[in-house]
Amino acid sequence: MISIKNITKKFTNITALDNISLEINEKELFGLLGPNGAGKSTLMNLLVGYINADEGEILIDGEKISIENLDIRRKIGLVPQTLALYDDLSAQDNLEIFGSFFNIKKNTLKNVVADKLNMVQLYDRKKDKVKTFSGGMKRRLNLAASLLHDPQIILCDEPTVGVDPQSRNAIFEYLIKLNEQGKTIIYTTHYMEEAERLCSRIAIIDFGKIITTGVLETLLGELHYSQTILINKNHLTEKKTGLFQTFGEIINEQDKYELKPTNKLKLSDFFASMEENGINYESIEIKKPSLEALFLHLTGRRLRD
Amino acid sequence: MKTILKLIKKDYILFWHDKPAVGLTFLVPIVLIYIFGSIFSGGGSPQGIRLAFINSSNATVAKKIETALDTSSTFQLIKTYTNDQGKKVTFDTNSVKDFIRRGNASAALVIPADAFTDTSTSLRLKFYYDPKNNIEMQMIQGLLTQTIMTEIPSVFISSMQRKAEGYLGMEKGSNFNKQIASVISKYYKVDTAEILHGMQFAYTDSVDSDTSRKAGNFFSNILQMDKKQLVGANVTSPDATRSVGGWAVMFLLFTLTGTSTSLFDESKSGVILRILSSPISRVQILWSKYLYNISLGCIQLFVLFFLGYLLFNINIFSNFLNLVLMIIAASAASTAFGMLLAAFCKTAAQANGLGTFLVLTMSAVGGAWFPTFILPPFIQVISKLTIVYWAVEGFLKVLWNGYGFIDILPYLGALIGIAAVVNLVSLWKFKRGTIL
Repeated sequence: MISIKNITKKFTNITALDNISLEINEKELFGLLGPNGAGKSTLMNLLVGYINADEGEILIDGEKISIENLDIRRKIGLVPQTLALYDDLSAQDNLEIFGSFFNIKKNTLKNVVADKLNMVQLYDRKKDKVKTFSGGMKRRLNLAASLLHDPQIILCDEPTVGVDPQSRNAIFEYLIKLNEQGKTIIYTTHYMEEAERLCSRIAIIDFGKIITTGVLETLLGELHYSQTILINKNHLTEKKTGLFQTFGEIINEQDKYELKPTNKLKLSDFFASMEENGINYESIEIKKPSLEALFLHLTGRRLRD
Repeated sequence: MKTILKLIKKDYILFWHDKPAVGLTFLVPIVLIYIFGSIFSGGGSPQGIRLAFINSSNATVAKKIETALDTSSTFQLIKTYTNDQGKKVTFDTNSVKDFIRRGNASAALVIPADAFTDTSTSLRLKFYYDPKNNIEMQMIQGLLTQTIMTEIPSVFISSMQRKAEGYLGMEKGSNFNKQIASVISKYYKVDTAEILHGMQFAYTDSVDSDTSRKAGNFFSNILQMDKKQLVGANVTSPDATRSVGGWAVMFLLFTLTGTSTSLFDESKSGVILRILSSPISRVQILWSKYLYNISLGCIQLFVLFFLGYLLFNINIFSNFLNLVLMIIAASAASTAFGMLLAAFCKTAAQANGLGTFLVLTMSAVGGAWFPTFILPPFIQVISKLTIVYWAVEGFLKVLWNGYGFIDILPYLGALIGIAAVVNLVSLWKFKRGTIL
């Protein structure tokens, strides 16, 4: 169990975290969702004992995390946002170096390194220098380097930044598997799809404050609508934005309009009106509301703003 | 053309924002031009060269030489030393030799009691020296000879007169003078007695310095300088032995600046964060960096000295233990310098740019390229604040003078002292910085 109690962290004039509290259960895959600069990485740095909080404390199974407490770091594996690898060394050399910091015996370490390289499907490239790897391969190795000491808790700080969809899916699968094996995972992201796909429970963070925490379905229930309507942009629909506004709030996306319907909207009335105005059904899509919509609902801002 | 101008403007903006590049483009050449200009332009002639000095002669010319050297800004005459009881004592021949052997000065001029007597046909001086730096010794000898020559016209005249008298006899010599005076009197209508008086006067002290300077080339026969090398006579490869320390220290500084600033790369890539997420503390990271750099510096210096042994037969094994101590001290101080750069700079580019500037400047003023005595006096003071100066001098003492542990303690102490102070400052800065 990870207990984050009334944590405040300031950097000069900026309050990165403002009195936040969270409880993360054992074997949970917990998502921390927020835009860039919200305070996610600061919280990760506190969780790993890289920095100390100005106020409050973080406990893992009752033991306090701090810069001074080195032993507790054996329970934690950090997957940094950056590719924290030595480019001029081979994948195997990288893992052996990072593994050695946890005092793993030489023979055991060799087996562990081989195992982790197999896990991230890089065993065949173990002798190749990291600089010859693609971005996705580096991300997978970045994950493997954090698992060498078999940590109980895995902290993933936006581990899929700049990754191709294939590698992203692979990383998701590794994490789901690790979670199934009993690992507690905290996953920070500003991609709502990632949080939706991976995390059983989510906290939304913005400007250093936790805005809401809960199970995804429950959080989405806070919205006053259960569906969102997407209307493709075309010559006709661009002229009819006034019409759409009579059914709810319109968000102007790059290639579509997103309609957040009012409470009273009946879909039958909406489709009838569309038909009357010559807008065909192919241009319209009904979806469940997303975390993006929830974030907008809670903060009044888009996640990417 | 407008497009090209825009592109040029863009490059200037980028260049101006790259402070290390601006520094390397302007600051480094300006400083080096100033230093070299000070050395090779007229205004930069050496000043205050330490010259041990004994004058045991009563001859007028000896007194004149002493006065000339005393009043010259080129030399700083040292006539006394502090003995074991802490008292100032005037040099004798043995103590002045010991003074040179101990490296307190590079040369000594001794004017013996019989330097120039009533019967002398030449001026006899003794010169003891330690050619630890070839350029320095050549310059000292040249400047010393020049100073002496301008003050000994009387010796030249007397010498010629005595040689003539020795060849012709006293009476014939006197008659020869009278006949010369008579001939001059006849053609120039001048009184013979006046001419003879002038000749007599000339035999003593009265030739003006301009005349004497013009006659400089003739004087070499009448100045007998008995030279004796007191230190380094057995050094197998003098030139290589003199220069190896300076160059080795310069490259050591370059290497350790580069490796110390690798902290920036590790910090930027997130590797430091990864390391600190394992059971490793910041202090352990700093210690590991420091010890790694010292060991790398030791290996580099040993390889360079060993190469000197293989290629130039520099004798590194006769005083090996002290050489090892100097290598460790120089590496420790140079590593501290690199860590200081890492602590104070904000980026690797800034640290490397500033590092290049400081290493080149320290090498120039610290004696890695040329002896420090030819630098302007205030730069000589600055040179003593550099790692290069103490390292170069220390290596010379070990390899050239063959000094033991006690004698190299000041150099070891200075380097370790610099390392300790610089490390404390770096540690203080690291605690406040963001690199770790």
